Amino acid sequence: MTTSASSKRAGVVIKSVVTFAAVLLAAYFVWGLRHFIVPAFVGGLLAYICRPVVARLERRRIPRGLAVGLLLLTFGVVTLVGLNSVRAAIPSEVAALELRVRALYALNHRYQALMGLDASWNRGNALYRLTHRDLDSLMDRVSDLLALTPDERALFVASRERQTEPAAATRSSRLLDYDRANVHVLEMRARLSGRGAPATTTAGASTSSSAPRPPTNSDPGALGDILSTWVIAPLIFLFLLWDSGTLKRGLLRAVPNRLFEPALAVLDDVDEAFGKYVRGIFLECCSLGLTVLVFLTLVGVPLRWAIAIGIFTAASNVIPYMGFFAALLSGLAYALLAEEIHPVIPLVTAESFAIWVVAAVALAELLKNVVYEPFVLGGAVELHPLVVVTAVVGGATLFGAAGMFLAIPTVTVVRVLVASSARHLKAYGLV
Amino acid sequence: MKPTFPGLKELLLPRRPNRGSADIAAIGARALFQAPESAIAKQHESLVDFLRHVGLFEDLARRDLARVARIVHEREYSDGEYICEHGRPGAALFVVRRGVVEVVKPGTGGQDIPVALLEPPASFEESAALGTGVIRWFSIRARGPVSLLALGKSDLDTLMLSFPTLANKVLTRLAGIMAARLQMLIDAEIQRESEAVDGGKP
Repeated sequence: MTTSASSKRAGVVIKSVVTFAAVLLAAYFVWGLRHFIVPAFVGGLLAYICRPVVARLERRRIPRGLAVGLLLLTFGVVTLVGLNSVRAAIPSEVAALELRVRALYALNHRYQALMGLDASWNRGNALYRLTHRDLDSLMDRVSDLLALTPDERALFVASRERQTEPAAATRSSRLLDYDRANVHVLEMRARLSGRGAPATTTAGASTSSSAPRPPTNSDPGALGDILSTWVIAPLIFLFLLWDSGTLKRGLLRAVPNRLFEPALAVLDDVDEAFGKYVRGIFLECCSLGLTVLVFLTLVGVPLRWAIAIGIFTAASNVIPYMGFFAALLSGLAYALLAEEIHPVIPLVTAESFAIWVVAAVALAELLKNVVYEPFVLGGAVELHPLVVVTAVVGGATLFGAAGMFLAIPTVTVVRVLVASSARHLKAYGLV
Repeated sequence: MKPTFPGLKELLLPRRPNRGSADIAAIGARALFQAPESAIAKQHESLVDFLRHVGLFEDLARRDLARVARIVHEREYSDGEYICEHGRPGAALFVVRRGVVEVVKPGTGGQDIPVALLEPPASFEESAALGTGVIRWFSIRARGPVSLLALGKSDLDTLMLSFPTLANKVLTRLAGIMAARLQMLIDAEIQRESEAVDGGKP
């Protein structure tokens, strides 16, 4: 009796040690392969979304292989078109300088108007007196980011002087005025804050005086690393779409007979919950992106930029609460830079444009919360906001952006896995 | 008036001498699990060839049988191992591919009462594949090494999504089998009651 009890205890200890070691090993592998997690997840996510499409094509007597090939081709074409559009939208070096000059000018102009600042930037309204200690330092940081270095200014001025056509010359003259106004404001702010004159004022100075820009991530090695990491995404996509049950059967083959039925039931539950989540979040993101696109177009954002902001919002919405901030920041950034607006709503003016952008984004967020989430996402993600925030922050701390992206799907799957396992193991008398 | 049971019932529920009370109670269960006459175990044949003999899939073309073969789960059980247990929910339909399984029912003394023996290509637990969540009133255990095929509700759902015509045929057969078994159960229950009444007469 004593021998039997002690051998039983030894068995439990061995099982616990083996389980602990397996968990540690799994964690080690996850950590080691963390760079592949996001590409693999994106590939899996797309495969999950596309499964009903493949099923539909199969129903129309198109063989599975051909259906998957067609989908892959479609994704390839969409990706190429997207990359080309992005490449076309990336400004040239001179255009980027123009953009910074315009942004800094617009920022200073709007800050001065909002705070009621006089020409010397010395005295402002009550709002300025209340907030200038905090906002001035923030403005300084943003100004430092946008201000041109002496070399950049030289390049910018030279590029403007080359413009001879009347329309281009007028525009160049306006931009040079903006630049001079920017330099003037920067000098004033530097004097007021007791800082030294910014590097941008000393045009023509030696290059050593300009602050070195941080290295960009555009060298071929980094690009190669990214491509080699992301090549796994189409592979996972292909494998999961091609698979017509082999993966599931393989998983279940490893399960002991007495756990077969509970495992089948748990897998079904997880599959259902994850499918609901993926399809729900996909529809919700698309709906939010489309709503932002429509609303921003109505208030006067050009269609091209509204589409870009809509896509950015939809992609960001995968991370909880991020869709709203992405739409707000990108919309406000556009409102800051916009020189001409063509609103569909007659009430919108250049002065009130930013407020209308905020209202449009807020309305889109309201629609998401009141209509899309309950009706599109349904009960697919019934998580407490505290759990959502903890998961996102924890994921971001451990795995960076990938962790933020994966936090909610992981929590959803783990929650269903634990709840379903407990329910079925109990129903089958195994616990 | 004593009821009469012509036709199929006569074949499936033959009268047996010296029947005990437990055996009478198991008549209904036996009716449910009666293996078809054509239940001949064919060893060493391919899965697709085997599936052709299973009543559930007998209307299917070879291409459709291959599709079914790709989604079924193959399980191996050793002698005495329980495949499913009394009082537990069902999650999959099973088809006997090789070997023999025994349907048992818990008796009053805690002992299992044998109800029926199933041979290839008999199937059981059809309702589980429909996701009805019915709790089993019987257990099934292997008699010697057994090879089974299992089909869960999600597997049928997959078929329905991609090949609705195929899934429709399977579901129609499934409904037919369940209806026939229900009819047999009702007949067997009536017979059991009439025998109990007959047994009570002096």
